[in-house]
Amino acid sequence: MTLPFLLTGASQSAVLLADLAAVGTASVAAASGAATAECTPTSLTDLGHLLQVLGTFLGLSLFSLGGGNTLLSEYQHISVNQFCWLTSSQFADLYALAEAAPGPSSMLVGLLGLGAAWPEGPWWALLSGYGAELAILLPSTILMVLACLSWSRLKDSPWRVAFERGLGPITLGILFEVGIKILRTADTNAAGLVVSLVVCALMLRTRISPLWFMAFAGLLGGLGVINR
Amino acid sequence: MTEQPPSHRELFIGMLQVALSSFGGGLSAWSQRIVVEQRGWFSNEEFLAGLTVARLFPGPNQINMAVYIGTAFHGLSGALVALAGMLMVPFTLLMLLGVAYFSFHTLPAVDRVLAGVVAAAAGMALSMGFKILDQYWKDPVALLLAAATFVAMEFFHVRLVPVVLIAGPLAMAWDWPRSGRSQNQP
Repeated sequence: MTLPFLLTGASQSAVLLADLAAVGTASVAAASGAATAECTPTSLTDLGHLLQVLGTFLGLSLFSLGGGNTLLSEYQHISVNQFCWLTSSQFADLYALAEAAPGPSSMLVGLLGLGAAWPEGPWWALLSGYGAELAILLPSTILMVLACLSWSRLKDSPWRVAFERGLGPITLGILFEVGIKILRTADTNAAGLVVSLVVCALMLRTRISPLWFMAFAGLLGGLGVINR
Repeated sequence: MTEQPPSHRELFIGMLQVALSSFGGGLSAWSQRIVVEQRGWFSNEEFLAGLTVARLFPGPNQINMAVYIGTAFHGLSGALVALAGMLMVPFTLLMLLGVAYFSFHTLPAVDRVLAGVVAAAAGMALSMGFKILDQYWKDPVALLLAAATFVAMEFFHVRLVPVVLIAGPLAMAWDWPRSGRSQNQP
């Protein structure tokens, strides 16, 4: 009962996705002023698609500076503009889901993997989701293990000092770019923009749990105050 | 470290407990409470040293912290067990949420609520840069480097990997520890 339902759901959303993709890329191009061409996915077999997902995230793992958030705009570019896994607004939705759900928010990668293979059916999608998360974690985990085992020698090494001091400001610049990019991807109306700015200020000034902000903003969305 | 190192099984259960306790937020606080105060696997100093390593190296901080805890007792296999314990339940829940999303997100009511949630999440993303701005505020070279990184990515659409590969070594050369800072020479 559920499986056929999910499958028809998948094919329906694939059609809708194609429609939305045109709108999504158009609005992104308009917003950024960049000449993003229409996103045409490369045609691959199901397995080839999975390998594309795994290879992409394996290669990005070691670039996740500053706790992993620096990768967000790269994720957006890859899944929306480069490989056409998602529309712009789907990406924004998945980012919000990963932030709202319990656990480390870096699990977003699993959702991207899931979305990448969703047209191939829910089982492939789940495989792709678990695979994507393993791929993004594996290289950084191995490096971290090596770092822990040799930390006593690394601790006072000039490499460590230079890495920490030098990469910090780069991380800062990337995080600002990420913030702007997510804001642009959210692409809400004026009320939504005001909510974004207020949430940003409250995140910096108070220790209120972000879940409250998301619940309240979700309510505003449900009432039609915020839309996109 | 205390007298009895935890077994693989205890590591897994400990990290699972951290993951389950932190539903609703505060992962790092819970990890400290359980690992240091309840189970006594680390002294507070050892735990904080771990946080330093976790923040320094690539990868999400909380995940790296789990790797640090596992590695301290059982090397790579300990790291994998600790990771599995921390991620298994939340990640499976998230995957179910994802399946629900892709099945139902085209419903107008769902989309309307999500539009609101997305606005709040965008505000959270925007705050990330401001959060660490303080520590560089008095350092003009750092601010210049941050601004150059931002401009390259935002206006010239340079991607993350080339930015890190080009700016990273330059910044490291500039910040190489030496007694008198002279010219920029690695």
